[in-house]
Amino acid sequence: MLKRRGRIQVRFDAAERDALLDIVGRLETHISRALATTPRAYDDKTMQSEYDRWVRPEIERGYGADLDVIRDALSAGEELLVLTEAQVYAWLRGFNQLRLAAGSLLGISEDGWETAASEQLRAKPEFGMLIALGYLQEELVAALES
Amino acid sequence: MTTTATPVPVEAPVREEKVVREPGWNVIVWNDPITLMTYVVLVLRKLFGYDHVTATRLMLQVHEEGKAIVATQPREQAEVSVARLHAFGLQATLARL
Repeated sequence: MLKRRGRIQVRFDAAERDALLDIVGRLETHISRALATTPRAYDDKTMQSEYDRWVRPEIERGYGADLDVIRDALSAGEELLVLTEAQVYAWLRGFNQLRLAAGSLLGISEDGWETAASEQLRAKPEFGMLIALGYLQEELVAALES
Repeated sequence: MTTTATPVPVEAPVREEKVVREPGWNVIVWNDPITLMTYVVLVLRKLFGYDHVTATRLMLQVHEEGKAIVATQPREQAEVSVARLHAFGLQATLARL
């Protein structure tokens, strides 16, 4: 990944694009599971129900839109993707939601899982997805801040 | 027979207005074991305009203490901040001061 004239260039070969699209497809259906464990915005029940009614749906639509941005770019068939800053943020948000979904599927609830994970956990496909998406997220953050 | 009322000047009542300021609301970010530290720093910088040092200090507080107050704002603004943090996938709540 490379930052050039305010845009981020990302290079994926066909196999990498297919693998990433597969990860998006596999994990996106589990995003709601991860969301169920996130803290509420308010302690107050009335305020929380207002938040759930008026704010939450738009946020969740945003998660879907972020994944669409990723899917559209990967499906274009280009090896070199040139992303605007707004697109990079969409990728970052999308990757984060997918990572939270993978973490939820793996039952990860404490820090230190990277070193403490059992061989059994490491063998699960979601573990590899979590690591791969984390690597891509780190690269995008570094590219944005370069 | 009609009578005509003679206008009598009156003094305007003295009004004491007190501006009641709503106490601020804290925007709190909570630790989660999945979200990357570098990503949290980036989000705090983008949403709140913090420099890298301040954003990193807050991120470390989240990581080590489980949570950090990242802003104190009027309620509506705090709710917008929490919604934007949620959009970035961070765990965030707001609480009255």
